[in-house]
Amino acid sequence: MSAERLLNLSERWFRLLQRLYPPDFRDEMCPAVVETYRDRAREALNAGGIVRLAVLWMRAAADSLRNGPGERLRPAVSWRRNGNWGRDGELAIRRLLRAPALVISVVGTLTVGLGLFAVVYTVVQKILFEQMPYQDPNDLYYVWRDYGPIQDLKRGMLSGPDVAELQKAGGIVEASVGIGRQLQTFAAGDGTDATEIAVMFATPNLFDVLGVQPALGRGFAAGDVGPGRSPTIVLTHELWNRLGASPAIIGTDIRLQGQPCTVIGILPPAFTFARNEAVGPPQRADAYVTFNINLAEGNPASAFYSGLIRVRRGTSPEVVASAVNAVGRVVDERDFQGRGLKLYPVALKSDLVSGVRPALLVLGAASVLLLFVLAVNLASVLLARAAQREHEFAVSRALGANGVAIVRATLLEGGLLGLIGGVAAALAATWGTSTLMAVAPMDLPRRDAVAVDWSIGAVVVGVGLLLGLLGAAAPAVWAARVNLSSILASSAVRGGGGQGHFRRGMVVTQVALSLVLLATGGLVVRSFERLLQAAPGFRPHGLVSVRVRMPPEFVPKPADVIVLQDRVEATLAGLPGVTGVSAASALPLTSRVQAAFSPEAAAAAQSQIRFPRAPGNTGDADRDAPLVDVIGTRANYVEVMGMRLVAGRTFDRLRHEGVREALIDRALATQFFPRGNPVGAAVIFRDRPLAIVGVVEQAHLYEVHRDGRPQLYVRAEDWGYRPLFYVMRTTRDASAMIPEVRSAILRIDPHLVPGYLQTMDEVLDHATRRQHIMAVVISGFAVGALLLAAMGLFGIVSASVTRRRHELALRLAVGADHGRVLRLVLLEGAGLVAMGMLIGAPGIYIAGQLIRGVLVDVSPTDPATLLMVALGLGLVAMIACYVPARRVLGIDPALSLRME
Amino acid sequence: MDRDRRGVDRHLPLPRVEFHIVLSLVAGERHGYGIIQDIEARGETAVPDVGTMYRALARMVESGLIEAARRPGPDRDDERRNYYRLTDAGLRVARAEARRLEALTHAARVSGLLTKRAT
Repeated sequence: MSAERLLNLSERWFRLLQRLYPPDFRDEMCPAVVETYRDRAREALNAGGIVRLAVLWMRAAADSLRNGPGERLRPAVSWRRNGNWGRDGELAIRRLLRAPALVISVVGTLTVGLGLFAVVYTVVQKILFEQMPYQDPNDLYYVWRDYGPIQDLKRGMLSGPDVAELQKAGGIVEASVGIGRQLQTFAAGDGTDATEIAVMFATPNLFDVLGVQPALGRGFAAGDVGPGRSPTIVLTHELWNRLGASPAIIGTDIRLQGQPCTVIGILPPAFTFARNEAVGPPQRADAYVTFNINLAEGNPASAFYSGLIRVRRGTSPEVVASAVNAVGRVVDERDFQGRGLKLYPVALKSDLVSGVRPALLVLGAASVLLLFVLAVNLASVLLARAAQREHEFAVSRALGANGVAIVRATLLEGGLLGLIGGVAAALAATWGTSTLMAVAPMDLPRRDAVAVDWSIGAVVVGVGLLLGLLGAAAPAVWAARVNLSSILASSAVRGGGGQGHFRRGMVVTQVALSLVLLATGGLVVRSFERLLQAAPGFRPHGLVSVRVRMPPEFVPKPADVIVLQDRVEATLAGLPGVTGVSAASALPLTSRVQAAFSPEAAAAAQSQIRFPRAPGNTGDADRDAPLVDVIGTRANYVEVMGMRLVAGRTFDRLRHEGVREALIDRALATQFFPRGNPVGAAVIFRDRPLAIVGVVEQAHLYEVHRDGRPQLYVRAEDWGYRPLFYVMRTTRDASAMIPEVRSAILRIDPHLVPGYLQTMDEVLDHATRRQHIMAVVISGFAVGALLLAAMGLFGIVSASVTRRRHELALRLAVGADHGRVLRLVLLEGAGLVAMGMLIGAPGIYIAGQLIRGVLVDVSPTDPATLLMVALGLGLVAMIACYVPARRVLGIDPALSLRME
Repeated sequence: MDRDRRGVDRHLPLPRVEFHIVLSLVAGERHGYGIIQDIEARGETAVPDVGTMYRALARMVESGLIEAARRPGPDRDDERRNYYRLTDAGLRVARAEARRLEALTHAARVSGLLTKRAT
């Protein structure tokens, strides 16, 4: 037998013995071990012939019998103990540790992108989707009246008789609550300073209907209402804390509007309730009291109550609507002569969040788009990374590693990155949410509920993991398909690897998604700009406002009130830097329509007025008695606020006894005096004629950018309006004056309660805060998506230049100049951008429909904005292409071709 | 420095086969058969089995004392061989082990256990 044949036989023996070792050790070491044994065999054969070889065979057998099972029992390498997943996991960690730049960039991108998503998700989940903390919250409905047939008011409050009728309704309406709200002076005891708190007035069943019991003491009982009963009050946990959180407060008296009131209960800390308003955002309160009047005997025309009902468990909304409608028909017949005023229910939760729902849905949709961009970005980064390991994959495939193992390794890498990113994003979101809530408008519904909790954290980490796995899916599939021949082919010929199509597709997707996000962001920002440019009807800069309450228990007589109001005005006018002072019962952009069941609650009350003998009257009694906001002002209010006088004059300092004056706004003037001059005509307000002395442009009470309900300005003194908001125009820094104003007012009389001390700039800022935050968040999304798309383009073009180096060098060599070659490369990028924009264009239209509701004075297809967005995206995209493409200028054809 | 010392101490004393491996690799990169030849050249009576040695190699790669080396040029390469080289950590451990053995040898000599071989 020849030596060579013996050696081959030996090799087969050694290979057979390798079966004793565990497979993974074999995969890694078998060739080397067999080769070493073969070397030894050759050596043995040379030294001692077939006998020595036989001895080696025996030794090898003994060796493998010992070490094979030994390796199975105690693997040399720890990850072998954990099976394939553990091993791949460890390998994935090692590979990632060797690429810190990749880990940092991917985790950083995920932290920011996914963190933004998480913040929006938290807000949307908590505000729109989480159940309200009441018993069976889905069976609670607010009831509103549609005044459509007689007034331009679709969502009006209820009157006492309405609430009483709902209580009597029976059937599926199990209970009905009437709720009013008012600011009142509050003192914990005699001799303590009075403060102003918001008090909710409700029928005694409020807490039972909500299914909430006080944490201390008791709620209201039916016996707490009615004439002769001593008034009782239930405090919120927050107010109780402010008072020192002593349980002994139960049963003691506090003072409300100077009157004693017995504390009977403290609400639990988690209790949160807001009274939904007919106009403006829901309002909260610091304490709850019950009515001391019989609702059924109230004036049907005085609609000051929010109506809340509980229906039988699980009743469908349609059935609730028809039951409420039936009650509405009864009161319409009885109190409104059957003019067709309807009552309708709105589910508590959707009623509460209706004001913010459109904006939140837009934000939510934008954040989901951003997630897609993130996933695509992650996929292209991982694909680029996989492409670098192309050779390694192909070799391991050729050596027998199966496709599943490679897919597993790639998925593990992606999943691991996603997991780390998800955890980082959840942490970032915890911080981001609290930061956002710190600047969020105070009247945002469910504001206090918005925070990242465990379930949200888990979802964010899960989304991160999913993103990582999704991002790794494309490269995993591609890597599993890679084989040696295709790699050899692709490196021999100058064509690209198979991943090129994947990556180009991803960049096109990224461009398309960024275009949609940018368009949305552009429109929202444009809308916010419009809002800032919109004239609110007054000049806010340099205005300070303060609400001065004159508690009726200290100043009972109306005449004294006016004297005191004069003193306050004079004092404020005397402050350095103040150029003008006036006062009004309702300030622009802060106004709430106040309930009027206390002597001093006339505030910005709505009222119906008439213009007798005005040419614009139609003869229809309802049309000719418009519902207007009535604002009581002192002299020079129009001048101090910087409102615009259209005709006539404003209120003089001099008042004429027996003459009541009024200003109307332009809308009323146009409606009732279409050709003539209203100045000198009469307006009927509260059954008394007033002389119209002037016409003004509205100072907007509700929304910055547009007129609200028509406005009637009357003299505060004529009607005993209090409390008043004083406004001062100053040449100094308005915010610096605030402490001075406070102390000046308290110096006049310590019983005066100054509140709402703020500059009108702050008021305006607050009124536009929601749009501001939305504009910032959405443009953040859009810019993030743009950057990610730019990164993708950069990578594509950069890879393309590397890949086509040979071809480009060849082109240069045969006479193309550098500019031409540069254009060639740029054209490739431009093609991708153009394709992405084409695909994204319909998305803009869809997004436009979604955001229509949140835009102010901007069409969702505003050509200027969309053109700018397209140009901006194109510019950034082309820069992202140009920078890597410039490398072609450095190609020296001779050198490149020689190197090939 | 202190941490390094602990990291080194963790590996001491080196098993016999591992010390032989580091001894070989101090001279440069080697493949498995080369290491065995080195051991034989040192006059060791019990040359370790191939399986034993490869398990030791795998263990040492795992603990970072050695690492797989790039293959030498294609002309001299055999696809199936694995080449190894000493890492910095491995070198420190090898030195520490050598010093330990030297100290032991010295002690043996002082105690008269080891008589000087006649020159």
